Amino acid sequence: MSTAGFNSQNGTGTGQTYANGPSQNPVALQQLPGVSYGMTHQPSYNPMPAKAPPPTGPGLYPSAPYQPVPPVSSYQPGPQITSYPSSPGQPLLPRPPLSGPPSHTPPQSASPSPGPRMPPAQATPPPPAVSSSSYYPSPQQPMAPAWQYNTAPPPMGPPTSISTPPRGPVANHVNPAASLAEPLPPSLAPYSTAPPPRVSQSVTQPPGPGMPPTSMLGYTQPGTAPPPMNPMVPNTYQPGRPAYGPPPTGPSPIGPPPIMKPTPPPTGTPVANTTPPPPKGDAGLAQPGPPGRHLGHYPSLPPGYQNASAPHGTSSMHPAMQAAMQPYTQAPQPYQQPPGGPGPAQLSPSLAAMSLQSSTPEALRVVNLLQERNLLPPTPVPAPTPCLPQDLQKINCNPEVFRCTLTSIPQTQSLLNKAKMPLGLLLHPFKDLSQLPVVTSSTIVRCRSCRTYINPFVSFLDQRRWKCNLCYRVNDVPEEFMYNPVSRSYGEPHKRPEVQNATIEFIAPSEYMLRPPQPAVYLFVLDVSHNAVETGYLNVFCQSLLDNINALPGDSRTKVGFITFDSTIHFYNLQEGLSQPQMLIVSDIEDIFLPTPDSLLVNLNECKELVQDLLKSLPTLFGKTMETQSALGSALQAAFKLLSPTGGRMSVFQTQLPNLGVGALQSREDPNQRASAKDIQHLSPATDFYKKLALDCSGQQVAVDLFLLSAQYCDLASLGCISRYSAGSVYYYPSYHHQHSPAQVERFQKDLKRYLTRKIGFEAVMRIRCTKGLSIHTFHGNFFVRSTDLLSLPNVNPDAGFAVQMSIEDNLDDMQVVSFQAALLYTSSKGERRIRVHTLCLPVVSSLSDIFSGADVQAMTGLLACMAVDRSVTASLSDARDAMTNAAIDSLTSYRQSVLTIQQPGLLAPACLRLFPLYILALLKQKAFRTGTSTRLDDRVFAMCQLKYQPLFYAMLMIHPALYRVDDLTDEGALNINERTIPQPRVLQLSVEKLSREGAFLMDTGTVMYLWIGRNCHPNFLTQVLGVPNYAAVPENLYLLPELDTAESQRTRAFVGWLRDQRPFYPSLHVIRDESQLKANFMQNMIEDRTASALSYYEFLLHLQQQISK
Amino acid sequence: MILLTMVARVADGLPLAASIQEDEQSGRDLQQYQSQAKQLCRKLNAQSPDRCTLEAGDMNFHYLIAQGVCYLSLCEASFPKKMAFAYLEDLHNEFYDQYGRRVPTVTRPYSFIEFDTYIQKMKKSYVDSRARRNLGSINTELQDVQRIMVANIEEVLQRGEALSGVTKLCQSPVRP
Repeated sequence: MSTAGFNSQNGTGTGQTYANGPSQNPVALQQLPGVSYGMTHQPSYNPMPAKAPPPTGPGLYPSAPYQPVPPVSSYQPGPQITSYPSSPGQPLLPRPPLSGPPSHTPPQSASPSPGPRMPPAQATPPPPAVSSSSYYPSPQQPMAPAWQYNTAPPPMGPPTSISTPPRGPVANHVNPAASLAEPLPPSLAPYSTAPPPRVSQSVTQPPGPGMPPTSMLGYTQPGTAPPPMNPMVPNTYQPGRPAYGPPPTGPSPIGPPPIMKPTPPPTGTPVANTTPPPPKGDAGLAQPGPPGRHLGHYPSLPPGYQNASAPHGTSSMHPAMQAAMQPYTQAPQPYQQPPGGPGPAQLSPSLAAMSLQSSTPEALRVVNLLQERNLLPPTPVPAPTPCLPQDLQKINCNPEVFRCTLTSIPQTQSLLNKAKMPLGLLLHPFKDLSQLPVVTSSTIVRCRSCRTYINPFVSFLDQRRWKCNLCYRVNDVPEEFMYNPVSRSYGEPHKRPEVQNATIEFIAPSEYMLRPPQPAVYLFVLDVSHNAVETGYLNVFCQSLLDNINALPGDSRTKVGFITFDSTIHFYNLQEGLSQPQMLIVSDIEDIFLPTPDSLLVNLNECKELVQDLLKSLPTLFGKTMETQSALGSALQAAFKLLSPTGGRMSVFQTQLPNLGVGALQSREDPNQRASAKDIQHLSPATDFYKKLALDCSGQQVAVDLFLLSAQYCDLASLGCISRYSAGSVYYYPSYHHQHSPAQVERFQKDLKRYLTRKIGFEAVMRIRCTKGLSIHTFHGNFFVRSTDLLSLPNVNPDAGFAVQMSIEDNLDDMQVVSFQAALLYTSSKGERRIRVHTLCLPVVSSLSDIFSGADVQAMTGLLACMAVDRSVTASLSDARDAMTNAAIDSLTSYRQSVLTIQQPGLLAPACLRLFPLYILALLKQKAFRTGTSTRLDDRVFAMCQLKYQPLFYAMLMIHPALYRVDDLTDEGALNINERTIPQPRVLQLSVEKLSREGAFLMDTGTVMYLWIGRNCHPNFLTQVLGVPNYAAVPENLYLLPELDTAESQRTRAFVGWLRDQRPFYPSLHVIRDESQLKANFMQNMIEDRTASALSYYEFLLHLQQQISK
Repeated sequence: MILLTMVARVADGLPLAASIQEDEQSGRDLQQYQSQAKQLCRKLNAQSPDRCTLEAGDMNFHYLIAQGVCYLSLCEASFPKKMAFAYLEDLHNEFYDQYGRRVPTVTRPYSFIEFDTYIQKMKKSYVDSRARRNLGSINTELQDVQRIMVANIEEVLQRGEALSGVTKLCQSPVRP
């Protein structure tokens, strides 16, 4: 290894034509003068194509074929879940047939006929009927573009019914008995590492959370007052558009006479101005004052809208906004109990109800959106707190990890249909947690019939029996579970960490492995065509990997490998013992094969020097290449072959449209149509090559992450499939160039660091279970759905989010609460098989007002965005846009007609939904869905990808960026973190009206931050923060804040740094002036303003009002 | 050809390390053999013969028990028995050296999965034709090898009623 170079006998013995083996490398770095790189002692690099291995067919994993995802949820938490749809002996991971059934395509929108909603065919029935019968106000258009999100999609009976029944019988005799029968030496059953702090927490709650009967009975939610709409609940309720699919599962004709509780008359239901609102200082705001009475209110006429200005301390009602932002600490602290929430738990139902009626919960305070302008809370919007008894809520799952669009679950599907809000879960299951209890136990206690993991929300009938909170089966408590290793006491099963923590991780016993845990395997596939070399990304990549090579997650088994490609595929032999890496070129891209299968993926520890040598020389190797073609498809096939024996992670770097060999694509974008097109074409893939390959990868536990660095159209809609179905991720750096876009380079660098060093889980699967009666029917995110509800995740990373839609199949009549459990089984980079389990518990309610008061507007927005992405692809973008608008109209209509007792003019929303129209408008103006503004197709598709797989917290910034004024930062109200003072400017509305020429404003869009400098910006800010004498001296391409030793500079940098720290990937910062090119991007995020092609917020509200009052 | 290697604790069958053949060109399905290997390890106890060959179709399982640890390999039937046992001996020497004392204390399956790296190296050297030179030293033990008990895997696994539960457990697919 003394010579750090490669042999220069390049091309020996072969007539291979490759342009990249120059005999000299004038620019060679790393003391490699005159060394070139090429073939060394490898006369055999031109192997015969016949050597190509047989396609790895379904042979390796012979089991149950992939089942196409039945669009209908067949998930019935009954006994059939116990079995897994494969017979004994079958592997965990069936391979897909090579022709991978296109099962993932979102099935919901049943034959959507793009009928825009606009025709206000509101000739629809009288008021009550409108709300219930037509989710869509135009009955003559049965296919109108709305989501029937609350009902299970149209019946696709066959697939489901075929797949489920056989599962039943096999079930019961499989696991449970066996696990008990397993002989365990007593010494082997210890249990380790429950972190001490947990204990103290648990000790404080005497009855144990799982023993609700008494406390739960008396528990009612605030605002349980029976809805006044009872009289209106029409017995004639029918879903208005039958074509949308099955009538709601519940007995719809009966309607949802929600509660039969003998509750008192609706004294204090929602109307705020008739009830004394909670003493919170916002009382006056509920009053729809006369136009203009408060400066902050909308004037009654649109034209004057732009003039109102002075901020108005609207919402002082969320003091603990930070809750959602704080790192995951021990669950309880951050939670806020809603006023009146916990108290009544001990009261009898009627008493509780009465005590609560005296005040309307804040969530239901009536807000007239047309009048109340400053709706944004000054700090980020926190997740609502489920209305649960305190002892349950205290241990409930952190909303950053697990969140539901409705924190109060409707009792019946028909009630849900009436509420017209989407029901679904948003998950961030592998989030980096600062504290996570880990349990090692030879027996993992699970329900014998539905396989739910024991959790804090089960009930203990006595010391020896527990009742499952999902299927209600009574199970025995295993002997081992009687001993609590934390307290070292016996006979307190309800104090075990499993029952004290809603998020917990188990070290899995060997029953959870079908093969020995795989090692961490990383394969890098790099584009080295002329175009790629031009961007200069190779340097950054190689340097980042060199810098982080010791921080790659793994152990002594970790393997790495490299493939580069242009019109041919280049492999690198890194076998231990070689003096330098050998490059092997395969030019037969039609029938790709591996030249030396065992030495291409090598043990990182043993071959680190060779790997480092390679990384040092790679950037210069192809410096003079003239090869412009890109055989990405073949490179992917080769990489797949290389990884399929073990599984692992494939990181693909691509800089252009693949144009050679399999998977070649053509440009489908007409730049002239970007702005003018009526509807956006080419959102779906041009070929199924990438999807099929991704399914093959999924079957072999290979995930593909795609880094796209390109100025040109690359057809991300097609390429993205490779990551989407293999549970990878897509990273996109449009117009990446090492000189022209320094901000992109910096972001790429930082992102790579995060990417290379973050936690990773291999060969993972995730299942989400929910209480009997609820049913999950559609999944969003990057994965492949195997066997109806099992998500196959060859890799799982801490930055991946998921969403699911749900329907209510059986009435939840006699239930106080329901639970949801996500279980993620994965292999850590150290070869440990682990199961991370999250359990969320939510109350069941029977009145519409309760449903509304529990609405989580951000979660709803996130879920709607996922649904809209699917809709855009399966139907059309305009369809998706209409459906989003209708979601706002429908929910507010339902609120107005069914919850409000006193009709008043204006556009009324409950306080918890007051941001809903704003978020919907923001979605309509988001890159993914906007029309009329020039948007590159790849940018749009990328935005769609992100909306689908980003955790909600990050997605919300993409949807509704945060705007702060930063030229006047003060330490008042600042946070103090690690001895750093972080100023907390308030969040401003996204309107030009909020900008001022005298100021400087920071807009945070999640992946990009813009610092806009006003023309007359205070010289103090310019000199003290930007280090320039005057406005004209602000450089054009400034993307770094200079580190000046001034208080202003420190504050600004602390604030920007703090914002960056809250997300895994690095948002770049652009300082912009009025003349900057990027100003347009900045201004496009001014969501509340009118643009040539889109309504202003106020106009949008008027539109909603018009639709609602019809 | 050595297709599969597994190291397990005899007392409870807990797998300690393993290596599966990573040659995609063989395209063989080892799943069934893996599950048989797991079952077999659970079946073993202190009374089991410390060397044994079990026929499984055109494959053979060979195992060796030493110091409470079982070393099991799956080879093609044509693979010389003496080589197989020499291989297992080698594994034992190295494994016992590295992990021997920790064997009784671990609870997590595949706690010593990193031994895989060594297994793969050994395997390569035995499968490699160059390894023929090892034959010389092995020849002397030929006599011993012939005395090693031979049985059929199916029969062994089906022996005994109590085993059935375990069997199912092994075969039950993993459900998170």
